[in-house]
Amino acid sequence: MKTQPARLQLLSVLLLGAVALAACSGPAQPTAVTVPTAAAQLNNSLTLVEWSGYELPEFWPAFAAQHANIAPDYKFFVEDAEAYTIVESGFDYDLVHPCTNYWQLYVDAKLIQPIDTSRLTNWSGIRPELAKLGQFNGQQYFVPWDWGFESILYRTDKVTTPPKSWADLWNPEYAGHISLYDCGECNYIATALSLGFDPWNVTPEQDAQIKQKLIELKPSLLNYWADFTEINSLIASGDVWVAANVWNDAYKSAVDEGLAVDYITPTEGRLGWVCGYALSANSQNVDLAYDYLDALIAPDAMAYLSNEYAYGAANVKALELTDPTFIELFSLDDPSILDQTIFYRPLTEAQREAFTGAWSEIKAAP
Amino acid sequence: MLMTPPTLWLVVLFILPLILMAVFSFRAGSFAPERDQFTLDTYREYFSNPAYLRRLGQSGWIALQTSALSIPFAYPLAYFLAFRAGPMRVTLLTVLIVPAWTSYLLRILAWKIILGSNGALATFLLSTGLMQEAAPVLLYSPTAVIVTLVYSWIPFVTLPIFSALERIDKRLLEAAADLGCAPWEAFLRVTLPLSLPGVIGGFFFVFIPTLGEWVTPTLVGGVQGIMYGNLIQDQFVRALNWPMGSLMSLVMLTVVLILTVLFSRVGRISDLAGA
Repeated sequence: MKTQPARLQLLSVLLLGAVALAACSGPAQPTAVTVPTAAAQLNNSLTLVEWSGYELPEFWPAFAAQHANIAPDYKFFVEDAEAYTIVESGFDYDLVHPCTNYWQLYVDAKLIQPIDTSRLTNWSGIRPELAKLGQFNGQQYFVPWDWGFESILYRTDKVTTPPKSWADLWNPEYAGHISLYDCGECNYIATALSLGFDPWNVTPEQDAQIKQKLIELKPSLLNYWADFTEINSLIASGDVWVAANVWNDAYKSAVDEGLAVDYITPTEGRLGWVCGYALSANSQNVDLAYDYLDALIAPDAMAYLSNEYAYGAANVKALELTDPTFIELFSLDDPSILDQTIFYRPLTEAQREAFTGAWSEIKAAP
Repeated sequence: MLMTPPTLWLVVLFILPLILMAVFSFRAGSFAPERDQFTLDTYREYFSNPAYLRRLGQSGWIALQTSALSIPFAYPLAYFLAFRAGPMRVTLLTVLIVPAWTSYLLRILAWKIILGSNGALATFLLSTGLMQEAAPVLLYSPTAVIVTLVYSWIPFVTLPIFSALERIDKRLLEAAADLGCAPWEAFLRVTLPLSLPGVIGGFFFVFIPTLGEWVTPTLVGGVQGIMYGNLIQDQFVRALNWPMGSLMSLVMLTVVLILTVLFSRVGRISDLAGA
């Protein structure tokens, strides 16, 4: 019998260790995974810093046909900030796929080189409004690829007064059933619009007002939504009536699920996001990178994006291959649709710090 | 002599990163060229906004409630395992731990389902007429964070208490009985005091990690259940303000260190280690 307690103690130590391990491994950050291959060393490969889910071969069929022996390497990220950290730390890559908020930072830090659009056969289809966002110092640094709206999605069967503007998020009728996107820049800019300010040019007084306004909204919020599946299920369950800064895909799936929802065009305008590709300043595989870029912006590849992911395509020629119901849902064939949209502009580091800093203060506030 | 493996481990994996973090809190930015400049601006910003420290205080309060509530659940379990389970205890101990082998995330999400508007709790309340309309019960509040955490910590708290109860010399209880102590009296005057180091150990096993928790509040805490750990995570992952994130972590670490010193005075770690 003597051995029993000792064994028990050993067991409990082991079990405790296992529990600790399980607890630690659970919430681990989804870290980017890269598999460096021998080919990468031979300058005959292509490395992308890419959103996970964007590596599908359907997005670059022309590249695969041209370079059957080359399999691109991907280093995945889940946040723009993470991509910037990867690239800034000196990671050896060829193409990176950030969104407008971060574009200026890449240019200012000289991490990328200008793109020679004459080398892209499909460039002529790119919507000029989006291409313009990727120009810095008179040169094209970004190839816009995917874009979408950010607006308010609400349950038509749950609210009596439909929201008409960003300012209506503060309507007490929705209290307890509002969800904001957990994104500092997005909420800051939407709130600035609701107050009639120019979000990219606020005075210190306006800045204080924006923060105050968002802190005032906190008691009315159910939560901050972090990803597509989360907000989608919250809208479906009816816990959330009004969701802010929701993207096209959430509206489309809510419609597909037969939910009574509407996706508004606020009086101030819908927000719009754009992401695009840039070429590393130190790329050793420039020719391959151009081939890959050209394949990405081909109409068929871009239509696949719209049809499968419900995002807008930067290449207007993709519309012919896009599901008509999707086009109708977002009026994508309206030539002025982009002019009506307030696109997120590239931010300077100071602006980015101001927006994210404000959000941190708002979240910390009681 | 000093560079024994444990010392090396401690230096490389604990002391050095801590120094790096402390240095980073004085940097002007996360990236070049600001990274190479040093400033006290981050400190000024942090201490001029009372919301940060208040949020740390609120997280401490959540952690305190979580640890305190875990004990009344864990103690009877540990007591049963130590004194009543007999030959079954190895099996029962394993059964107690088994849920902890599944993903931590999965178990939090399960609670999200239980507390959600279509969840078990809401369905029950609706059927009994205690609730009129389907709505989340407790979900998206600090209470939801506490409930979820207490659930996941119970095994952690049970083990040190069990281990303390195990070590009690059973002859002491016989002596107490011989001297006319009623069982409850023997429990209060012999068993409980002797198991206190385990209780205190369990308390801190829970309190310290809970203070820095961010996954549970993200998933079930809503807007008011945001904890200090979420602010730190935001600084590193979203805002890319590493100096601020480092400073926030340092402040929390200081608080934890002070508490640990207090703990080692009160609870005497050596007692727990079974020395």
